[in-house]
Amino acid sequence: MIYFITALDAEARPICEHYCLKRDRSLPFTLYRNDAMVLLVCGMGKTNALMAVSALMGWRIPKEEDILINIGICGAPSDYLIGEALLIHQIIDEDRHYYPDILFTHSLRETSIRCVGTPQSTLCDYPVDMESSGVFQAASRFCKLHQMAYVKIVSDHCTPESVTKEGVIALLHAHVNMLDSLISSLKAIPKPTLLFSAGERDEIEILKDHFTKSQSDALEDALTYFRLKHKDKPLSLNLHIPNSKRERSLLLEKLISSLTA
Amino acid sequence: MKSSSPPSPPKLFSHLYIERGVLEHPQTQRIRAKFADSQVILIDHYKEVFNRPAQSFAAQSGSKKLILARKEGKFLHEGSQYSDGFGTEQFFYASSVMGCLYDCDYCYLQGLYPSANTVLFVNLEDAFEQLRPYLGKDTLVATSYDTDTMAIESLTHQTLRWLEFAVEHEHLHLEIRTKSANFKALKNTTPSPRVTLAWTLSPQEIINTYEHATPSIEKRLNAAEEAIAAGWNVRLCIDPVIYTENFDILYPKLIETIFATIDPNAIEHLTLGSFRMSQNHLRALKKLRRSDVAFYPYSVSDEMATYPEAIETYILETLMAKAHQYLPKERIRTWQRQL
Ligand code: SF4
Repeated sequence: MIYFITALDAEARPICEHYCLKRDRSLPFTLYRNDAMVLLVCGMGKTNALMAVSALMGWRIPKEEDILINIGICGAPSDYLIGEALLIHQIIDEDRHYYPDILFTHSLRETSIRCVGTPQSTLCDYPVDMESSGVFQAASRFCKLHQMAYVKIVSDHCTPESVTKEGVIALLHAHVNMLDSLISSLKAIPKPTLLFSAGERDEIEILKDHFTKSQSDALEDALTYFRLKHKDKPLSLNLHIPNSKRERSLLLEKLISSLTA
Repeated sequence: MKSSSPPSPPKLFSHLYIERGVLEHPQTQRIRAKFADSQVILIDHYKEVFNRPAQSFAAQSGSKKLILARKEGKFLHEGSQYSDGFGTEQFFYASSVMGCLYDCDYCYLQGLYPSANTVLFVNLEDAFEQLRPYLGKDTLVATSYDTDTMAIESLTHQTLRWLEFAVEHEHLHLEIRTKSANFKALKNTTPSPRVTLAWTLSPQEIINTYEHATPSIEKRLNAAEEAIAAGWNVRLCIDPVIYTENFDILYPKLIETIFATIDPNAIEHLTLGSFRMSQNHLRALKKLRRSDVAFYPYSVSDEMATYPEAIETYILETLMAKAHQYLPKERIRTWQRQL
């Protein structure tokens, strides 16, 4: 699943059009979805972002292969071009700093960002937005730091009164194709593969039920050893389980030594 | 969505996280110049990056970042029960780098650190100051203990600085342990009789399976050979031995390969030791679920996991007998659990 987080409906609209996302009313927040993507409009400000992202992630808990992209507009110092897309490597929220892990190549300009409480009318050292730290704090409870990307598009040089709904739609619209390559870069980061198939996992759990907690931990370790060592060898767990405790222990001992031989 | 060929991972140290307090340090400036294309991110303290929750050691291993910082506390730690102090009166290891460029499946750093990134403490001069009071008597310092300093020597020059410091202090002995093939970093340095370069060697099959991103056995042996030819004390270490179904073939053959390249009379010692790890580090290693090494049914006593005694003894006896074909027993050192 790909999670998009925007603050404004105007930021969401070009993305919804590009990926054919449809309105979904499963949560008391504005959501759009298709089979592979969900877009949340969290509203403006850190608190709204924190609440809405927590609700979304609690509802659809991300898996290791999922990714999250927070995309929206930002104000920036004058050496940033209006319309430039920025990839954020440090989020500064007063004295707290947050760092997404950028483990992929890209062609965007990287920068730090200050996440502030109100729209900024005075220029500061870095670009500014109002949601990134809230999104980060909520999302990092649910996914690893390399599963997230924060993309901000410069809408103004700290003249928030100049930003219009139509302008925001046009800015986001100009960058929807960039999202395609960002998604494929994020997806290309190597993921841990599941060691056991669902069927194997069921068999393992049934087998473990016959043993004590420490015995089943030892069995799990031996099975993991076997699978990591012999990636393509099938497991054969079709065992007759004896009734006597002593015989079961012997069986386990034999099984562990054959798995780790 | 359009699909294109998968992008390659970023180059090594694509991001430099630099503590504001070391921004002007000469070491920082040299590294910045070397990685002029890397992103520079200013931080207050290395822990805000290195100790972040929700990092993935496995994912970061393919795209390591560099953190430049000041070490505030002790650089020197007393040698541990897992290592050999060679009978010197005092044995320390110096911790001037956290993390390693290499990526060995059996490395306890994966269990120790929350991050695969590298922290380089640039204020090595403070390590020297901390060491000075001990230098009235023979003192061994392992400079490459929690990392492989030679692997990043061309970046850090830390080994060269240690060697320069050792020249001035007659009681200081250094052990520089490595898997790298980077002997050329020391080529212009005069060898010291109080410095030992120690190469960790493994069969190529073990390197391929468990020692990711490390140089081949051939390259390591060539580097050791060059060091010997230049006049350095060289020790070779087959440690840790990873016990596999092919142990009987792989490891004796390794000893043959070593001494087909290296003159046995030219080395100080050969060290043999089977895999061992503290139970705590092993537990953390298991959580990563990366390698079978973590899941072997080790025997655990006193919080240390080792191969069961019979296997451990078999490993050492087999390798001892083989090594003895080339070296007298007193030049073969072994690590074995003290019972
Ligand atoms: S070379 Fe040493 S420190 Fe580096 S990863 Fe391998 S075992 Fe760990």
